[in-house]
Amino acid sequence: MVTRREFLKYTGVAAGTAALAATGAEASAGKTHLDPERIGVLADLTLCIGCRRCEWGCAEQNKLPHGTLQSYDDLTVLKEERRPDETRLTVINRYPAPTWREQPLDVKVQCLHCEKPACVSACIVGALEKNPKGPVTYDAWKCIGCRYCMVACPFQIPAYEYDNALTPKVMKCTLCSERTLKDGKQPACVEICPREALVYGKREQLLELAHERINQRPDRYHPEVMGEHTVGGTSWLLLGDRPATEYGIPELPNQSPAVLTETIQHGVFRGFTGPLMIFGLLSVLMKSSTDKRKPGEGDDQDGEDHHG
Amino acid sequence: MSKLKGLLIVLACLVAASAATAQVMDPAHRNPTPAKPVTDTSGCTDCHSCTTPTHENPCLQACKRHGAQFLGKHATDEGPEVVVIDQLANLYGPVVFAHQLHARMSAMTGGCTNCHHSSPATGKVPPCRECHQPTRGNTDLRQPALKGAYHRQCINCHLDWSHENACVFCHEEAGDKKAPVAGQTPKKPGSHDPTDIVGARHPLIKATPTYTYQTNEPTGAVVTFHHEDHVSKFGLQCVNCHRGDSCRSCHDSNGQPKEKRRLDHVTTCGVCHGERDCSFCHSKAAKPEFDHKTSTGWALEPFHRKVACTTCHGQPENFHKPDRACTSCHIHWAVGSFDHAVAGVKLSENHRELDCDGCHLEKNFAVKPDCTGCHDTPMYPEKLPGTRVPRR
Repeated sequence: MVTRREFLKYTGVAAGTAALAATGAEASAGKTHLDPERIGVLADLTLCIGCRRCEWGCAEQNKLPHGTLQSYDDLTVLKEERRPDETRLTVINRYPAPTWREQPLDVKVQCLHCEKPACVSACIVGALEKNPKGPVTYDAWKCIGCRYCMVACPFQIPAYEYDNALTPKVMKCTLCSERTLKDGKQPACVEICPREALVYGKREQLLELAHERINQRPDRYHPEVMGEHTVGGTSWLLLGDRPATEYGIPELPNQSPAVLTETIQHGVFRGFTGPLMIFGLLSVLMKSSTDKRKPGEGDDQDGEDHHG
Repeated sequence: MSKLKGLLIVLACLVAASAATAQVMDPAHRNPTPAKPVTDTSGCTDCHSCTTPTHENPCLQACKRHGAQFLGKHATDEGPEVVVIDQLANLYGPVVFAHQLHARMSAMTGGCTNCHHSSPATGKVPPCRECHQPTRGNTDLRQPALKGAYHRQCINCHLDWSHENACVFCHEEAGDKKAPVAGQTPKKPGSHDPTDIVGARHPLIKATPTYTYQTNEPTGAVVTFHHEDHVSKFGLQCVNCHRGDSCRSCHDSNGQPKEKRRLDHVTTCGVCHGERDCSFCHSKAAKPEFDHKTSTGWALEPFHRKVACTTCHGQPENFHKPDRACTSCHIHWAVGSFDHAVAGVKLSENHRELDCDGCHLEKNFAVKPDCTGCHDTPMYPEKLPGTRVPRR
């Protein structure tokens, strides 16, 4: 049998090694596989007038149910806050002006395409992937419908086709990756935006442009670009006249939620150290408990069973 | 096989747990949200290098806008009367832009360069399409394409001044194409008030909250005018009273504020108070500021405090007294749709299904409820048809 002292010794060593492995993994978490020329969209919300053209363009592009372009002139829907769902991948929400002298802020809501997406981290089959060029893409063939991505997303964006009994899909903005990456076009919402409140381009350049605008008009813009650092950065960058928490973005840390969980989980399995430790510990336990039984010296009952 | 299944379940649980913890992070990593810096909102120094620009010496500097130069000095009537913008007319008909009207308005602020921001000092003013491409490309992120440029120019002012940005404000619906006939005055685009010069982007004007005037009126020499009441309580915009004002009404040629002048009270106050007799304004002593209860006998507390004046009384131009009966506005109050607890009494089981007029006779909620319809003795207010709860 293993003594109490031995047991504590072995488990202590195992825990210590696992912790070491975890810190090692954390140090390497800063590495990125992303293309420095990756694309993104800058949404200057102060330029947005809430015309809902992007909603129509998105529905048209993604073959989702939609009415005529004129039917989107109905701005009464802006009275209530809406969320993107499986039938509309983007919506405009209107946040009232602080006083009548100012303008309300119209905010386009859709998947922000995180740099380190929690949905990709949570997806157990790799159906969601972060394309090094920017978009977070979805492969319906791989998807098993577990909907962990919906739980993981800090912005609660992915939606699920609950009404589709046979081939339900997770629905979210794809950054029009077919159009943008393959055909070199602009995303449908960007293309239709009449005021160019949406600008499509390389993320680095868009960040530069965003800070340029803030510096030129500090009276017009809130000094932070939403998506520059939030949850480790996003492909969509939002410029507003107020803090992002005042237009529907939850208060979030600057680190991706996936970093903490991946650090723990990858750390445990890093270099196969964790499993080796566990199996090592088990084998030591087994050995120490069998060592005391010398060959031919079993107790009576065992002896009876064997010989009987 | 069952062990493998068990292992998978454990793995799945681990992933789910990690996803759940992903939502809750330690507060030390939260985004810092610095307060919005307080800056000069007038924006004068965006374009002027000196503090007092004049017509002779506007001391214009290169505008902070990308590529913009303030060099042009054209007379406002040099430009065309009407410009038809039809380069992009696929969804809507061409826009008939009243160029001269806009040019005259712009003379009060930045002149032609308000829109023609890259014009040379002399010679032809280049049209927008000379720099702005007809289709969007990804080459220059700073320069909007033609459509974006038009919309950014027009909507900036139209939103600020008239809070109006429907597409049909400028565009004719497609299929309804009406080419402008030469020599005819074009339809004025929209119905906004061109005298609305104190637009939303004017720096906040700090007016005296209350003016007290001494007049020669024998019946009441004192006139108290609560300016702040008119702005914050009654929700009037500057132009509702300051009609026909231009920049020069308040600023001298150096841009400095002029001495304040009195508006003509007959044409200004009379728009709303024309029906009143002199004593409405003229009194022996200064009047307190407006209070709904003292003036009308109707206390707004606690529910109606949140309601804008215009909700019950209509727009300032045709202000009217609404009927005092609750049901004249609350037409949908009925059993089941009204939570009686907001009135301070949560109804008991027995009373919950009764019709409103069972207790509130003839649905007159202003008088005490009557219990004698069912009970022999008057109960209210000694006994309540439920339990007292805090009023909401």
